[in-house]
Amino acid sequence: MPEDKSEVLQGTLDLMVLKTLEALGPLHGYGIARRIEQISEDLFRLNEGTVYASLLRLSQKGWISSKWGASENNRKARFYSLTKAGRKQLSHETANWERVASVIGRLLQVAPQR
Amino acid sequence: MLSLRILLSRIRAMFEHAKADRELDAEVQSHLDLLAKRFIRQGMSAEEARYKARRQFGGVTQLKEELHERRGFPYVETLWRDVRYAFRQLRNAPAFSSAAVLTLALGIGTNIAVFAVVDAVVFRPLPYPEANRLVAFASWVTRGTPHPDHLSYPNFFDFRSGNQVFEHFVSYRDEEFSVSGRGEAIHVDGEIVSWDLFPVLQVQPELGRGFLSSEETPGTHVAVLSHELWQSYFGGDPAVIGQGATINGRTFTIVGVAPRDFHFPAESPSVQLWTTLAEDAAAPEPYHPLTEQRGARILDVIARLKHGVTVDQARAQMDSIAAALATQYPGENKNHASTYILPELERVVGDSRQSMFVLLAAVFVLLLIACANIANLVMARSVEREREVAVRAAMGASRANVVRQLLMEGLALGFLGSLAGLLLAFACLRIFLPLAGDSIPRISLAAVDRRVLAFSITLALFTSILFSLLPALQAAKVDLVRSLKEGARGITGGGERFRSVLVSGQITLGLMLLCAAGFLIAAFLQLERRDLGFRSDHVLTFNLDLPQGQYNAATGIRFSDELLKRLRALPGVQSAAAGWPLPMQGDQVTISFDMEERRAGPSDRPRSDMAIVTPGYFRTLGIPLLEGRDFTERDDRQAPPVLVVNQAFADKFFHGEHALGKRIEPGATNGGDGTKLHEIIGVVGNAKQSPGGMAPDPIYYFPFKQLSWGLGSIVLRTAVSPRSEESAARAVVASLDRQVPVYQVRTMEELSGKAIANLVF
Repeated sequence: MPEDKSEVLQGTLDLMVLKTLEALGPLHGYGIARRIEQISEDLFRLNEGTVYASLLRLSQKGWISSKWGASENNRKARFYSLTKAGRKQLSHETANWERVASVIGRLLQVAPQR
Repeated sequence: MLSLRILLSRIRAMFEHAKADRELDAEVQSHLDLLAKRFIRQGMSAEEARYKARRQFGGVTQLKEELHERRGFPYVETLWRDVRYAFRQLRNAPAFSSAAVLTLALGIGTNIAVFAVVDAVVFRPLPYPEANRLVAFASWVTRGTPHPDHLSYPNFFDFRSGNQVFEHFVSYRDEEFSVSGRGEAIHVDGEIVSWDLFPVLQVQPELGRGFLSSEETPGTHVAVLSHELWQSYFGGDPAVIGQGATINGRTFTIVGVAPRDFHFPAESPSVQLWTTLAEDAAAPEPYHPLTEQRGARILDVIARLKHGVTVDQARAQMDSIAAALATQYPGENKNHASTYILPELERVVGDSRQSMFVLLAAVFVLLLIACANIANLVMARSVEREREVAVRAAMGASRANVVRQLLMEGLALGFLGSLAGLLLAFACLRIFLPLAGDSIPRISLAAVDRRVLAFSITLALFTSILFSLLPALQAAKVDLVRSLKEGARGITGGGERFRSVLVSGQITLGLMLLCAAGFLIAAFLQLERRDLGFRSDHVLTFNLDLPQGQYNAATGIRFSDELLKRLRALPGVQSAAAGWPLPMQGDQVTISFDMEERRAGPSDRPRSDMAIVTPGYFRTLGIPLLEGRDFTERDDRQAPPVLVVNQAFADKFFHGEHALGKRIEPGATNGGDGTKLHEIIGVVGNAKQSPGGMAPDPIYYFPFKQLSWGLGSIVLRTAVSPRSEESAARAVVASLDRQVPVYQVRTMEELSGKAIANLVF
């Protein structure tokens, strides 16, 4: 299963997608990719296709829903938005992430003892 | 919860695969376009921008594949592909497929039909609450061949009051009733029961109530109607409760209506009426009421074991009561010193259980033959398909793949065969159930229901695997190189061996079935060809009910004299008489007698079938008079008592001596006047009284005017087709008394045919 190999990365991407949808409201896949690119300031490169895999995962779990609409240049596009369950999951994941990050941060700051 | 949601979305996706793929295409394309436009705005050439967009997006095809898989169930899809492929293969070989499906349909259809019958007859529990505590009770006769026997009322009362093992202990016996007062009089089958019939079954009447214990008192006339009788004769009027109805010429109070589909006894759906044993507690002079005759064994008993009491404990107590009764009443009970208890369901199913299982085994063998046949067909086909299989193997199909594919074809065949078999079973049940008549208890309940469907699905799986697994394994073992070479034909040696085992197995099973069928047909022909001892052609029979309240012995004789006189006067009628029981009717009445030359005590006297007939009975049925004379109208109560016996009777009891002129004293009486010596005045041929058995039964005949127990069946010998006399005969009865119902109008051929049908089934 491909999921096993990149569990952390996938989870991170899912979290980023959820957060993006929370910050910007309903958005299409291209918009999400742009937002992640902008925030990460090129520190973080990703195959934009993987956004779509993440979007499928999240909709299967019922955390996001999607609707067809017109994009800025008047093309048909699928807009994704956060569901109530997704919002709850996001706050849960955010808290989780912060806890893990702070533990790892502290761990890395401890000077080696001689 | 979460995984359930994913599952649901995947299931939904399976049905929307194509749409989802299209949508993803559009989404990705639009994404790539937007990305490319952005790069062009940054100054790239169109070509460069498109290339960079693709790079940044990653593998489009991989993404599509990945999402496609994640949306549905890949296994299900492969399976679905295999199924479609299997059906396509079958369509491509119509001769093979239709042969296989037809064979399977025959095998599976007969199995389903028989299972439906067996299920209804043997396995279905009785339709009463806690039916596992219901038992049938009988006396056990130790003299001669031990066998169960009915109870008499006095013995029943003693067993009922003496036991502590049963919650309720209920007697019942068949009786026929004529119900009148609302239009035409009708004839219905009924039961005379002790008061707690409904409590023992734990059934509540739909309307009104069951009987009270006080309603066993002589002079009470109360009845519970079946739902059907209430609907058909009383118009479904709820006000009938508490009202009077005319039954057998007397006014009965209707106290209840049984629920719809309530049947008691469970095997007799024709019973429409229940009344209490008060019916038997009264008798017109000079008879003793049945409730006081300890020797009159006419009762069946159903009882409900108390909680926690086993059949063995119950039998122990009942045996001790029976032993005490045998000591107390040696004259009647000497040979009935023990008892017999079996679960009520077993009594209802009775002998049918065995024949049902034989039938089930027979159709199962048939199914095995069908499977072997199809396996053979499949093998033959796999020779043709060897190259196909080899090509598939060469292209990377694993052995499991090949086996799976061939199994799938088997399942597809099994599915189609079962479908056709199910239709066949429906048709079989529709056509053959009415033919079986009432010879097998509860057979009318047979239907294709959920249990039967489950059985057919199991059967389909079982057979498919049976006939496709071995050939599939065989086929998967193909030698690649040899098979791919042009002209290489034939399967490996193992396959040949397997086929020969198949063929010989098939022949063995086929022979078995053929023998069994042959025996059946031979037995049937023998029954048909057997000399019945009378001429069943051109004879019409019917029964009538003389309401007991309006007719006594004397008026009954006057009625029958007048009736037979008018019937004989009908054009086309050669002779008319009455008799009971008729030959081949299935009823037998056995009564003991004392011989003048060899006196014996009551329990040691010889017994034989008997019948009561009017003058002209033997001529009407074509039973030859061998010696002496027939009864005449002058053989009445004032004349000396006489009897006619058949040849078998003379042979058995007089051992070749002349029976004519000998005197015997039968136990059958008109009541108060006691037993009398009867002189044998005639010997007639052996007419087949009971439908079964090959040896003729000894029987002795009473003249109706000397033993007036009831008129019995009317028999008419006609010069024309017997059925054509039916309406004339009905008109004659109606001209004498409108309140007398005529029923069971049959030709003698129908009667004997039905008796044989019952035996065969």
